[in-house]
Amino acid sequence: MTQPIDISGYTRITESIRTEAKRILSDGTVSAVIGYTHVRRKGSTQPILITNPDDSEKLFFSEGCLNNLVVYLTKSKKDVPKTGKIGIVVKGCDLKAVVGLLGESQLKREDIYLIGVPCNGVLGSLINPATELNTKTIAAKCRECTDRMPVGADFVPPVELAAMPQMEATYSDKIAKLEAMTPSERWEFWKEQFSKCIKCYACRQVCAFCYCEQCVCDRNRPQMVEQSPRPSGNFSWHLVRAIHLAGRCVGCAECERVCPMDIPLNLLNRKMAMEMKELFNSEAGFEVREKGPLNSYDEHDDESFIR
Amino acid sequence: MSRIGVFICHCGENISRTVDVELVASTASQFPGVAFATDYKYMCSDPGQSLIKKAVSEHRLTHVVVAACSPRMHERTFRKAVEQVGLNPFLCEMANIREHCSWVHEDREEATQKAIEIVGMLVERVKKNRVLPTITVPVTKRALVIGGGIAGIQAALDIADAGHQVVLVEREPSIGGHMAQLSETFPTLDCSQCIMTPKMVDLANHPNIIMHTYSEIEQVDGYIGNFQVTIRKKARSVDENKCTGCGICMTKCPQKKIPNIFDRNLGTRTAIYVPFPQAVPNVPVIDRENCTMFKTGKCGVCQKVCGPGAIDFNQQDTLIVEPVGAIVVATGFELYDITEKPKGSPIKGYGEFGHGKIPDVIDGLTFERLASASGPTGGKILRPSDGKEPKQVVFIQCVGSRSREKGISYCSKICCMYTAKHTMLYHHKVHDGQAYVFFMDARVPGKSYDEFWRRAIEEEEAVYIRGMVSRLYQKGDKIVVMGSDISVGVQVEIEADLVVLATAVQPRKGADALAQKLGISYDKYHFYSEAHAKLKPVECATAGIYLAGACQGPKDIPDTVSQASAAAAKVMTLFSKDKLEREPIVARVKENNCVGCFACRKVCAYGAVEEKEIRDRQGNLIKMVAYVNPGVCAGCGTCQATCPSKSVELDGYTDEQIVAMIEAL
Repeated sequence: MTQPIDISGYTRITESIRTEAKRILSDGTVSAVIGYTHVRRKGSTQPILITNPDDSEKLFFSEGCLNNLVVYLTKSKKDVPKTGKIGIVVKGCDLKAVVGLLGESQLKREDIYLIGVPCNGVLGSLINPATELNTKTIAAKCRECTDRMPVGADFVPPVELAAMPQMEATYSDKIAKLEAMTPSERWEFWKEQFSKCIKCYACRQVCAFCYCEQCVCDRNRPQMVEQSPRPSGNFSWHLVRAIHLAGRCVGCAECERVCPMDIPLNLLNRKMAMEMKELFNSEAGFEVREKGPLNSYDEHDDESFIR
Repeated sequence: MSRIGVFICHCGENISRTVDVELVASTASQFPGVAFATDYKYMCSDPGQSLIKKAVSEHRLTHVVVAACSPRMHERTFRKAVEQVGLNPFLCEMANIREHCSWVHEDREEATQKAIEIVGMLVERVKKNRVLPTITVPVTKRALVIGGGIAGIQAALDIADAGHQVVLVEREPSIGGHMAQLSETFPTLDCSQCIMTPKMVDLANHPNIIMHTYSEIEQVDGYIGNFQVTIRKKARSVDENKCTGCGICMTKCPQKKIPNIFDRNLGTRTAIYVPFPQAVPNVPVIDRENCTMFKTGKCGVCQKVCGPGAIDFNQQDTLIVEPVGAIVVATGFELYDITEKPKGSPIKGYGEFGHGKIPDVIDGLTFERLASASGPTGGKILRPSDGKEPKQVVFIQCVGSRSREKGISYCSKICCMYTAKHTMLYHHKVHDGQAYVFFMDARVPGKSYDEFWRRAIEEEEAVYIRGMVSRLYQKGDKIVVMGSDISVGVQVEIEADLVVLATAVQPRKGADALAQKLGISYDKYHFYSEAHAKLKPVECATAGIYLAGACQGPKDIPDTVSQASAAAAKVMTLFSKDKLEREPIVARVKENNCVGCFACRKVCAYGAVEEKEIRDRQGNLIKMVAYVNPGVCAGCGTCQATCPSKSVELDGYTDEQIVAMIEAL
């Protein structure tokens, strides 16, 4: 049964973000703030970068604020000022990406000012932006989210989170279904999914963690991955990505959202995250880790695979 | 265009028995880029090497592939050979068609095909080899010796006598090790203390030796010629510089009933103690677990009586960093005990011998203390339970050793000789006593060893019974020994007053942890592994680290001393040069691709990865990238495997080379 989700707090969050952005821009704490703004179509949003305190009124937060803005802190920082602190609006999932990037020496904590948003969830898609947020339209990643309240941000709007209803069709359900398959069925499932891939690399472009200057998949001396959109190359690309994200992916699900071919990429990433949790008791969180699970050795690590 | 020479070795018959070497050579000569291919019986021999050198000059070869044994064995040999005729040594590669092919296959046709493919892969790889300049690093001409037993002492004295500084680290409060505990030594029966203590004093007084007793290795960084070793000097609670060794503190200490570990818990000692009267340094240690001052905060008698004021209850552990160029590991052994082992342990205890709960069942080292003039009984053989002189003593050999079902399959090597010695010592001290020895077979090779063993039987009246003991149990004040005599095929039962077990020699507890700090390998029993069982018996696979004594495997004193001197000789060879040449197989960062995630630094076991700033001409910081210090890099390739954007390459093993090898298949 479809139930509405209480997002009455978003109005106050919007006001709070505006006041804080105005303050930090006016007193020189930051040189710019990256946030969300309205666009003409009702309910739709887009990222915005403001440097003028008067522009703070343009900022807002709603159930349509899907983007993970963290990508603007690494590779998409063309328009971001090079000097001074940068303020950025982050949901819980986005904040975990910031934390991950801090651990990978891609960001310095003193260079960013985090405006954390207490989040009751966002829409699954902006195709019909004026949709009401309910247990059906909510994004899959929000259905089992445990990080609604950002931890460790510089500023969090003083808004209490409304209780969330129980929700179905979560990634855990889907993973359980995958695991119930035989290896050959699972192979067929992913083969079919990856066969849809057109190698547009939107997933790579939108991912905060794909910050390499030259992706290993673009290398040609030697060529590691076939570059044309054919089955074998598609498989390699998605597997390389899954392995590279294992233990790092925060589940913001931007890859899945931007995929024009509707490949369930976050399903793969969630499954990898689950493996990491089971094998190394490691998952992306709000605490900066010096070493990721795949970059560290612990004598208690499971070695039963060595025979 | 490459002009590659391919040289196929028969390795006597090791390779040619299973691989058609002529066919491999003729096929290889058709590979693109190959200018010359031939086969020869022993490529590593002098004529074999000459053949390669001649071919390089005659056929103007640009690269060389030698298809023979493992590169671990002869890569250096062949690289040196090509260097002599002006080729960069790193343009020579080996294809392993022995360990990887002929030794593991039986079918000649298939093995030949595989050998051809292995050679083909190496031909493709060598084409992409680059000229690599040799890296030279300075050598710190100081050595570290870990362990102050006879092995460590001998190695340290030899190196120090050659004029180099030595840092010796000993875990216990005194040097001396096990040899200081022994009574008399085989095969000459000279007193162990009499030959050991002068060496201990020599060591302490040597101007080139710095001795850290009651200290342990905390951390080892660096590489051959340039190690940085952090030593934890444990708090002695006594100032070594002030203490005169008068010993009044020990006579006044009220805690007098602490079991003396040096005497195998037979005697007692005080809480402030030196392990034995001849200890070097003669500076006591406070055993903080048993000291009244540390337990209750009240006492301090030793502090009051100490004239020079050497007692310091507030002393803390200190960390010292010593730069050294070479390390000799001489951590020695300990004896297996028959007590119950934890569940799941691969090594089992001896329930049939009472799991160590029968007081008059002792091990060989305890017997040494009983027989020692400086021991708890003053050299009288008295059994631990009631202090009576035993009239019937049963010695049991191979307890733990050579019994796969108990978890140890190796021979402990020293027990046959020391048991024979024990029967003699016993016979000398208890004239009306009888010694029995249960043994499987006598393993007594060595100069004057067999004569010694025969003497025990023929002149000293020990009764040797060939067979094993199935059970020991207490009956009144006797121990019933149930065994078999297989030479006559009967069951034997002896009521003994004392039973001495020749228990297995095992590496020291914690040997594995030290090995991990040093980065050296060890076997399943935690004995340290030498680089080659026959040709490199004192070197570790890790360059600059050498082995001496029983930490590598069971050894008697003559063998231990020989190996210690051999290790010292290796160290001196290393120190004979001011600079060290090392292989330029190191990782390089492609700085224009590196994004500075420093995953490489996180996985580098050698601390070789540093941060480097990339700045533009105005001096503005553009980005931070990883930089591999070629002096520190060990060429393991972990960074290369970890780098998500493949911005690190290991010279000689680049991705391009590996892919070329795969594509040649």
